[in-house]
Amino acid sequence: MLVSLSRTGNRDAFSELVARRQTWVRNLMRRCSGDAALADDLSQQVFMQAWRSMRQLQDAARFAAWLKQIAINIWLQHKRRNDPLRAANQHIESDSSHREQPAIAMDLDRALGALADDARLCIVLSYHERMTHAEIETLTGMPLGTIKSHIRRGTKRLQEELSEYADISEEPR
Amino acid sequence: MSTERDPQLMALFAEAETELDDPGFRHELMQSIGKERRKTLIVWTAFVAVALVCVVLFAAPFVAAAEMATALLPSSLVSIEADWLQQLLAPVNSIAAAIAIGFLTLRKLYRRLFR
Repeated sequence: MLVSLSRTGNRDAFSELVARRQTWVRNLMRRCSGDAALADDLSQQVFMQAWRSMRQLQDAARFAAWLKQIAINIWLQHKRRNDPLRAANQHIESDSSHREQPAIAMDLDRALGALADDARLCIVLSYHERMTHAEIETLTGMPLGTIKSHIRRGTKRLQEELSEYADISEEPR
Repeated sequence: MSTERDPQLMALFAEAETELDDPGFRHELMQSIGKERRKTLIVWTAFVAVALVCVVLFAAPFVAAAEMATALLPSSLVSIEADWLQQLLAPVNSIAAAIAIGFLTLRKLYRRLFR
């Protein structure tokens, strides 16, 4: 209903959609970028792009998948635009924005930051979005073998980096 | 296709998920959308204004050019004395026909050479 209304240009409906989806999109961007301020900027771009393209969305039921595709495209475009030096500077400048995040999220983002960009994206899509290798292949256009290798190596690296949290899955929620 | 994931890392990712539902983000976004809408409106208004000015400025020369083309295009390329033959060949014996045939020939040539 909200998606259908948004497609007709209803701003209130779109605002409600944003309220419901912002946690998911912003968390996804935080895991991808490791920078809360940058993640919020990119999330704004994701929703702006979604607003502009709402009429192109054929099936309202596919809104979540469609939004995810936009988010990943925005992230990939951002990576293509930014050279590593500029990205590193941004990272240093926005270090303070980490402080609003819980320690576990900061440590996770730090560990993810040690991975190469493509590996990080594969890991985030696999663990954060719980996507299969085939889905990641469709979404990112990376070869399946590369995705598997990124996830295998990335998992190993994260296990080492985050060994202090090894018992978290055994703790009661 | 099997997609095995480390359960401990799965738990870590779930634990790191932060509830981010502050109204500031949404407010900023909706403001940007409003600004973009106003910008689009201004651009379209400017475009229509410029188009109207162009119509006013160039209406007379455009009409004159159209009149000249209307008079020139049906002119015969080769004068034929017999009236019935002139009528019969009119569709191909004119400047317009020559331009059309030339265009179609060039297009065919281009397609054959480059596609």
